[in-house]
Amino acid sequence: MSAEPAVVIQELTKDFELGLRGTRLRAVDHLSLRIAAGQIFGLLGPNGSGKSTTVKLVLDLLSATSGECRVFGVPSGCMESRRSTAYLPESPCFHRYLTGRELVGLHGGLCGLRGAPLKARVDEMLSWAGLAEAASRRVGTYSKGMLQRIGLAQALVHDPRLVILDEPTAGMDPAGVADITALILRLKAEGRTVIIVSHLLEQVEEVCDRVAILDHGRLVREGTPAELAGSASRQALVVDPLNPEQLTELSAWLEARGRSLLSVGPFRSGMDRSFLLTPPAGHAAKYKP
Amino acid sequence: MNAWQFSPRRVGLIARVTFLEARRQRLLPLLMLGAAGLELGAQMLEEFNFGLSELKFIADLGQGVAAFFGSILAIVASAQLFFREIDERSALTLLAKPVRRSEYLAGKFFGIMAVISLFCVLMTALIIVMLWSRETALMHGRPELWERGRHLNYAAILAVGFAHWLGLAVLVAFTLLIASFAQSSLFTVGVSLGVLVICQLQFLAQEAYAKAGTLGGRWVAGFIALLFPNFQVFNLGDVTGVEGEIGVMLLARVTGYALFYVGVAGMLAVFCFKRREI
Repeated sequence: MSAEPAVVIQELTKDFELGLRGTRLRAVDHLSLRIAAGQIFGLLGPNGSGKSTTVKLVLDLLSATSGECRVFGVPSGCMESRRSTAYLPESPCFHRYLTGRELVGLHGGLCGLRGAPLKARVDEMLSWAGLAEAASRRVGTYSKGMLQRIGLAQALVHDPRLVILDEPTAGMDPAGVADITALILRLKAEGRTVIIVSHLLEQVEEVCDRVAILDHGRLVREGTPAELAGSASRQALVVDPLNPEQLTELSAWLEARGRSLLSVGPFRSGMDRSFLLTPPAGHAAKYKP
Repeated sequence: MNAWQFSPRRVGLIARVTFLEARRQRLLPLLMLGAAGLELGAQMLEEFNFGLSELKFIADLGQGVAAFFGSILAIVASAQLFFREIDERSALTLLAKPVRRSEYLAGKFFGIMAVISLFCVLMTALIIVMLWSRETALMHGRPELWERGRHLNYAAILAVGFAHWLGLAVLVAFTLLIASFAQSSLFTVGVSLGVLVICQLQFLAQEAYAKAGTLGGRWVAGFIALLFPNFQVFNLGDVTGVEGEIGVMLLARVTGYALFYVGVAGMLAVFCFKRREI
């Protein structure tokens, strides 16, 4: 892992002016973050907590009221910082009349690729996203899951080191979520830093190395998902049903070893998980427990 | 040289996408159809056989229709094509790439100008074909009037078309300037139409103030003349008629006038757009 942090945010503040009376809305409030390279970092918080604004400040799509942001040591206002950054906005809407190949080619061209290397890279990214067969179809005919995957392909065409995904699974079915999750894990395996912006805490829990929670533009908490969930020092066992005598016996066994039985209840299998374990006829299971 | 300096290639890529989007909206064929219908309507004058004045009428009507529909196309296409990407957020993915905002705006300008160019070429070609065929018919009907060959100067008609194209380029640049800080396409279209009216009529205000003779009046007239381009400058058809010639110097002056205003409006648009929060 590189010693240089992927993103350093220091005392970043963003005020939006509302109307002509000088009223201001503070979207990001003296935020400081340090995101190590090679991590999957979750930026969480309720709607309106300043997550997307923070990301737009990192990408220089907005200008900060005060504070500083650097991407791999380069100020985010410099064009060079965008050379190493990829961005997939929430529910992206691409040029519908372009084919998948043309869309990825357009974005590759904007990043300076041309000729045979561009063509090879476009084909590589379309295969990576599992869209090789749909490459000649117009983007307007793609499903929501395919749009997210073509979004990832266009974002990654210039081989960036930092990938920022804003609500990457919003509005997707469980199979689509599983696809995107697998692609995110591949990004990490390839050595890239990934920032996931989401308000769905459970969803990012399984993929993120570290998580920051924002509220009203301020950093509320930061740590590993286990630390934030308070589960770092706890374990859950899933067993066949025990009767009261057996539970008492188990509790006594644990107490003899200095441990406590904290919670007993019915096992709740997530609906997403059971959907993926029992897919419709003709579809292979995407989730392997 | 820094690889991330202003790149004509990136401008070209954005222009191409803008042109494809315009083609998809089918605005151009719709306006072409309307304009062509009006121009072809002038052919009904055949029955009257007015001679040369008929040809002048056809040319004036054709150029007027091209200017009117061209202005609508320039304003509506500029506002639509600018705000569509902002509203649909496809501009986010483009501007998150190493693309300068000046390149993005320049790409939009050239993409829209490609549509305008197509419109102007087709309309001018239609006017020339109509005039040529009507003049040929009149030549056969009254050969004594055409003993010394054709009266119409078709090179001048081409130059008139080019001057109209320059005027539309200025209008596109001003519409993009308004769009660079406006929050909606409706506002942009409304204000741009207002600017078009001022630019078309500002010479009247200049004349009125000049006649008033007061120092303050002349100052106001001078300020308006500097702020808003005089679109009558691009109306070379009124200067030359259908038989006259258009000198190279006149054409160069009109081109310089257009380039000055496109440059100023473009720089102001980049200034505003750089501060715009996407």
